Amino acid sequence: MNAETMMMIGGISAFVLTVYWVRSRGLRERYAIAWLLVAVLLLLCGLFPHVIMRLADATRLSYPSVVLFLSLAAIYFYSFFVSVSLSRQYRRNVRLMQETAILKQRVQALRGEVDRLTGRAPDAELD
Amino acid sequence: MNSQPAGKYLVVIPAYNEEASLPQAVARLQALPADYELLIINDGSTDLTSEVSHELAATSRLPLHVVDLPMNGGIGVAVQTGYLFAADSQRYDYVIQYDADGQHDAEAITALVEACDRRDLDICIGSRFLMRPPGAFRSTFQRRVGIRFLAWLIGLLGRVKVTDPTSGFRCAGPRAWTAFAQQYPDDYPEPESLYWCVRNGLRVGEIPVVMYERTGGTSSIGPLRATYYILKVTLAILVDRLRRKEDPLS
Repeated sequence: MNAETMMMIGGISAFVLTVYWVRSRGLRERYAIAWLLVAVLLLLCGLFPHVIMRLADATRLSYPSVVLFLSLAAIYFYSFFVSVSLSRQYRRNVRLMQETAILKQRVQALRGEVDRLTGRAPDAELD
Repeated sequence: MNSQPAGKYLVVIPAYNEEASLPQAVARLQALPADYELLIINDGSTDLTSEVSHELAATSRLPLHVVDLPMNGGIGVAVQTGYLFAADSQRYDYVIQYDADGQHDAEAITALVEACDRRDLDICIGSRFLMRPPGAFRSTFQRRVGIRFLAWLIGLLGRVKVTDPTSGFRCAGPRAWTAFAQQYPDDYPEPESLYWCVRNGLRVGEIPVVMYERTGGTSSIGPLRATYYILKVTLAILVDRLRRKEDPLS
C-alpha cells in the first residue's frame, strides 16, 4: 500500500466518521465543517499526489517532510482553536456558576422571609 | 437578618477553606456602622466554610449574606461574584473587598469609603507600604520585590503612582464595580484590574492600612507560584495595553 492509497482511505474514513458523529448529534455541524474539510483535503492529496510533490520541489523538502509539515500545521491550528474554544467555554461556565450561586442565595433569602412572615418553621417544606 | 434596613455599602469576603479564620474576620466587621452589609462568597470550599458562614449569618448584627459557589473558581471568580451580587441588588454605593484570613484591618474600611467619597475616587486601595508601624506584618522578600516590580510597571504604563497593586483590600465605586461585574481577571486579579482602571480613565488612589498575620488557613500563593504570578500578571497588563480603551460608563 502506497502513501496515496493510505491518504484516500484516511480521507474516506474521516469523512464517514464525521458524518456518523454529526448524524448521532455527537458533533456540532459548526465543527464538522472543519473536519469534513480535512477529510476532503486528505482525499484530494491521495488522488492528486503531484500537488504535494510540486510543493516539495518548491520548498526543497522531501515528500515525507512536506506531508509531516502540513500535518503538524493542521494539528497546530486545530489545537489552538480548541484552546480558544475552551477559554470561551470556561468563561461561560464561570458566569453560569456565579449566576446559579446568586440565584440560590436569593431563593434561600426569600424562603427565609416567607417562613418569617408565615411563622413557619425554617425547615418546613413550602407548598 | 432580612428584616434589617438595607445597607449602602457591601463588604465582600471571598473565602476558600477559611473555616478557622472566618469567625474572627466577621467579628471584627461587626463594629461597622449599620449601613454596611456583609457578603461571604464561599468559593467551593472543601472544609466547613459554608456551614460556618451560615451560622455567622444567623447571629450577625449587620446583614450577612452567603453565596456558595458550587465549585472552586479562584479568587477572581469569587470577588467578581460579589460584584455581580451588587449589580443584581442595585442598591450599593461602594463595594469593599476584605480578605477572610484576618489580615485586613476592619477599622480601615470606613476610611477607604471616606477616601473614595472625599477624593472622588473610583477605586481606593488599602496600601501596606504607605505606613509601617512597629510590629506590622511584613511579607517575604520575594513578594516585596514582585510587588515593587508590578507597582513600577503600572506606574510606567499608566503614569500613576501606586505602592501596593497586589493588595486585596480595596473599595470600588459604582463605575469600577459595575465594570468588574462584567469583566474581571480569573486569577491574581488585583494588579490587572487596577491597571485596567487606570488605563480606562477611572480615578485610583491609595490610603495607608495595617496588615496583620493570617489568623488561620493557608495562603493561596506559595513561593513557587509567585514567579508564575509575576509572569502572568505582567503578560496580562502588557496585553491589556494593546486593547482598545473602554468607556466604563457605557
